[in-house]
Amino acid sequence: MLRIYRRLWQVNWAEQWQYRANLLMYLLYWLVSPIVYLAVWTTIANSRGSVSGLTTNDFVTYYMTLLLVDQLTSDITIHILAYKIQDGTLSGELLKPVHPILTNTLVNNIAFKVLIFIVLIPVWSVLYLLFQPAYSTVTVQSVLIALPAILLDFGINFLLGATLTCLAFWTTRVFSIAEFYFALASLLSGQFVPLQLMPPIIQQAARLLPFQFYIYFPVQLILGRVLPETILSNYALGLVWLAFSYVLFRWVWREGVKRFSAVGA
Amino acid sequence: MPTDTITVTNLSKTYKVTEREGGFSAAVRSFFRRKYRDVQAVHQINFQLGRGEIVGFLGPNGAGKTTTLKMLSGLLHPTAGQAKVLGYIPWDLKADYLKSITLVMGQRNRLSWDIPAADSFLLNQAIYRISDEEYQKTLKELDELLELSPIMKKPVRNLSLGERMKCELAAGLLHRPQVLFLDEPTIGLDITAQARIRTFLQEYNRRTEATILLTSHYMADVTALCERIIIIHHGQLKYDGGITDLSRKVAPYKLIGVALGEVVDCDLSCYGPLVQTDNSDGKQYIQVKAEEITSITARILQDLPVHDLTIEDPPIEDVIERAFQD
Repeated sequence: MLRIYRRLWQVNWAEQWQYRANLLMYLLYWLVSPIVYLAVWTTIANSRGSVSGLTTNDFVTYYMTLLLVDQLTSDITIHILAYKIQDGTLSGELLKPVHPILTNTLVNNIAFKVLIFIVLIPVWSVLYLLFQPAYSTVTVQSVLIALPAILLDFGINFLLGATLTCLAFWTTRVFSIAEFYFALASLLSGQFVPLQLMPPIIQQAARLLPFQFYIYFPVQLILGRVLPETILSNYALGLVWLAFSYVLFRWVWREGVKRFSAVGA
Repeated sequence: MPTDTITVTNLSKTYKVTEREGGFSAAVRSFFRRKYRDVQAVHQINFQLGRGEIVGFLGPNGAGKTTTLKMLSGLLHPTAGQAKVLGYIPWDLKADYLKSITLVMGQRNRLSWDIPAADSFLLNQAIYRISDEEYQKTLKELDELLELSPIMKKPVRNLSLGERMKCELAAGLLHRPQVLFLDEPTIGLDITAQARIRTFLQEYNRRTEATILLTSHYMADVTALCERIIIIHHGQLKYDGGITDLSRKVAPYKLIGVALGEVVDCDLSCYGPLVQTDNSDGKQYIQVKAEEITSITARILQDLPVHDLTIEDPPIEDVIERAFQD
């Protein structure tokens, strides 16, 4: 199996490399919103001293960490696979004796991340010099605790993203459904604002939903801002979401493949 | 062990398709109330294929050929009926089954567009768990038959149609499948490339005893490769048997070609209906019922200054066309 992943890596890396210009455009587009939030919140915090107890530096460290974490936990399955389901080109992959999503699409996601980081790191370094975050609460321990969470969070995001993509077996409007999902994720993952600034009822909901694992939870872990008992309960909840996402994905995939009519392949 | 490699029993597939009239108001109406129509692509077909057989699967466009191939390879679930290939139910998509078959359809299937075919071959080696020794051996064989060396290092997007088809075939055969489903394997290729692919398939079949079910609109493919053909029309099986038997059944006539020794103003139509052919051999051809061949040939030889006379089977294209019409 390792050999399969190694070869998949070589192929997907070579493919992603062909589209590096697209990737750069994507990155620039994606960078806009976190940088705008960063600028807006730091301005507000500067003028008031703090916002609900969060200082300017708290916002700067939050968004600067978010820039890295979001790319680590994000998932692009829908962009890789939905069109293949719709135009029937999935056929070729479906007839190979390995699961197309759990092999090829997964590796494609990872190759994309590596390439993104090659560009993101210099951009991030420039922003670091501009905003000068003081990472006083970040320790080796807090980063080490966050690493498995990032892996877990990518797992949940990937599996739910793959499940969402599988809706393309039923509807050609999968991107409209995805837009709604992404909007919900932006709101409840902590991308717009750190979740502690949200109204209590939204915070309650966000605590149970999987979206906080995409950004808020791992960012707060790195920043050492999560209480030990919350770390444990969140890890447990994350594992539950991972297991649920996996079962849901396998079921939707199985039913979807049955429906696949492979038109125009 | 199953005695037949492929067994198809009452296999049927019905597609549900949406339909609406053209125009804006019809578009609005269909938004609220969609109309569906059932299209029966394949209706209760039955056939068996033994090990090592090469069978031509023929029919006009929309007859149900590709739908059947997709069901047999496992891509489509049938609406009713059963199929077993190598003892497996295809649409269960079991890994062991997928390792034993291949489906080659069109030009863009198994190869990644942006990278050289050689990289896709290596990926297939890993996916199908082919040992290095086996892989090198098969690749060498495929290279001999298809002349891959000059083309497999170029990105697939830069290959010509024929080169791409060769690489598609190679990618589909690296794992030495026992059953090949080929949908128009020579479409869009020039005559030389078509001939090469035909020779290759014959040789592959001889070396590996693979079972091959292929569709093609080129009768040259069918006559060169298949002793047996299956004809499907409107989703139903019309014929299953030898090509020569089909000629006898649907076109029980032969063509007499006559070249006259000197320029004689003569109308051969009194011996039988004249037939237009593509032959540029200077002969005139008449169509004669099989049982009248002897008597009419004798009359022609007696009446006319014949320089050359041939008795030929009708072209396979005509025979197949008649079979479709029937």
